[in-house]
Amino acid sequence: MSEMWINMGPQHPMTHGLWNLRVKIDGEMILDVDPEMGYLHRGIEKISEDRHYNEVITLMDRCCYVAGFAWEHLYILAAEDSLHIHPPERAEYLRVMCDEFQRIGSHLMWYAAFVQDLGLMSPFLYGMRDRDLVLDLFQSYTGARMTYEYMRVGGVRSDLPYGFTDQARKVLNWLSDRFPEYDQLCVGSTIFRERCDGLGVMKAADCVSHGITGPMIRSAGVKRDLRRDRPYAVYQQLDFDIAVADAADVTARYLVRMEEMRQSVRILRQVLDWLDQHPGPVIAERLPRWLGAPYAPIGNEGYLLKRSYPKGVGFSSVEEPHGEAQAYVVNEGGEHPYRVKFRSPVYANLSAARQYLVGYHVADIPPIMGSVDVCVGEVDR
Amino acid sequence: MLPDDLSRELGPKLGDRLLGVDPFPGTAGRVRFKPDAALDLFRAVRDDLKFGHLSMVGGIDWVDHREVFYVAWSDEIKQYLLLSADLPAESAHIESASSIWPSANWHERETWELVDIAFDHHPDLRHLLLPDGYTFHPLLRSFKLHEPEELEVKQRRV
Repeated sequence: MSEMWINMGPQHPMTHGLWNLRVKIDGEMILDVDPEMGYLHRGIEKISEDRHYNEVITLMDRCCYVAGFAWEHLYILAAEDSLHIHPPERAEYLRVMCDEFQRIGSHLMWYAAFVQDLGLMSPFLYGMRDRDLVLDLFQSYTGARMTYEYMRVGGVRSDLPYGFTDQARKVLNWLSDRFPEYDQLCVGSTIFRERCDGLGVMKAADCVSHGITGPMIRSAGVKRDLRRDRPYAVYQQLDFDIAVADAADVTARYLVRMEEMRQSVRILRQVLDWLDQHPGPVIAERLPRWLGAPYAPIGNEGYLLKRSYPKGVGFSSVEEPHGEAQAYVVNEGGEHPYRVKFRSPVYANLSAARQYLVGYHVADIPPIMGSVDVCVGEVDR
Repeated sequence: MLPDDLSRELGPKLGDRLLGVDPFPGTAGRVRFKPDAALDLFRAVRDDLKFGHLSMVGGIDWVDHREVFYVAWSDEIKQYLLLSADLPAESAHIESASSIWPSANWHERETWELVDIAFDHHPDLRHLLLPDGYTFHPLLRSFKLHEPEELEVKQRRV
């Protein structure tokens, strides 16, 4: 048999987005891989240098279209740092609520796409059906199902509508009843276990040196979760466990994500209770007008001379559904950020593709890449 | 870990190539170093200070010079550390961190193509996000938006 390079992508059912996995094969064996990115590069970091601070939020939603809230939160934390603005506590709880619902939504999307790669049609439909309930909730308080533009520098855009928390609890109850069903369909099935056990193994030491984060590193037994290790927003006050597994294979990543959804439900119950008991403002007072006037709520735009505003830098790091996302915002005193730099977790996870793909068969690529949970929007930015 | 601890740990190893350690919000501190100390510093940070995970590498164009920064994370002390070096704008280059942290590979490719900072002895320095043959560096301040650029896209090499 002779060696050859084949292209899986940019249009391929495995890719879940626009990217190209070049694979060097000998027969059915994978000898080398080379992910080719850039098909979705929109220059978000460059465009941000030309936008008001609040206008960048629009771009953040487009960074990862299944985890928009996580990216909004990431940027907002860094921007607030660099501008020396502090949000009210209720806004922080609302942001954590967004984050955790987003984590469930993102993992459900991953679940649906992943099982479909394996050829399981029913779980795909269940996953999409249940994700829709989460999107309905988002729609009820942001008006959008995908690109929310809800968080603002200094708080969030609006408070929750009447009766939201009760509806949210209903969704949580429904979801927690569904998780055992998902498990039965997947890890309870011999076909699934035969397909996924021992596939795409990446040991803890390799994960650390190759910069892998999120469910992938936790599936290798490393207990790293920024919500615990370096709490941001109000995660310090919330009670939850870090989901870990030790097999470091595709099944382990499945188990970690399932457990994370259960933990998110646990966090959300606490957050909803807190929100019920603590009404209050959701955006800081006296925000500078130039943050992006069309977006600041009327009546709350304070006045501050732009020249008197201090320079600063902001660095934030959040546990996005895919892993560790970072933002670095440089404020040179102007109306726009001087430089914005993002770190995408999927970017790092993909860059190590050689480590978890070489040595397996071509037919193993869809399950392995499915378990990585690729989101090209945030890789290319 | 505080900036003082960092300079006490790193000072003897780097000597005058360590330019200082400043406090930096959200991290243990920002280590400023001379570019020729890069590999020694990376090794010291990874092996002695136990920052095993390199999160990101990025560059900033300050017009008169460029800055390259590295963010590392330690599972032991649960803190971030920022390393930063100033490079001359005319020939911005620094030793690649890929041999110390393999995760630097793609971050350096991106920094090279977007901010025009070259990484010496990088295993695979080619375009990542932009098409092959692209000669502009979009994240430089001299690259203005709203001005159309003529661009010839070559075939990617196989």
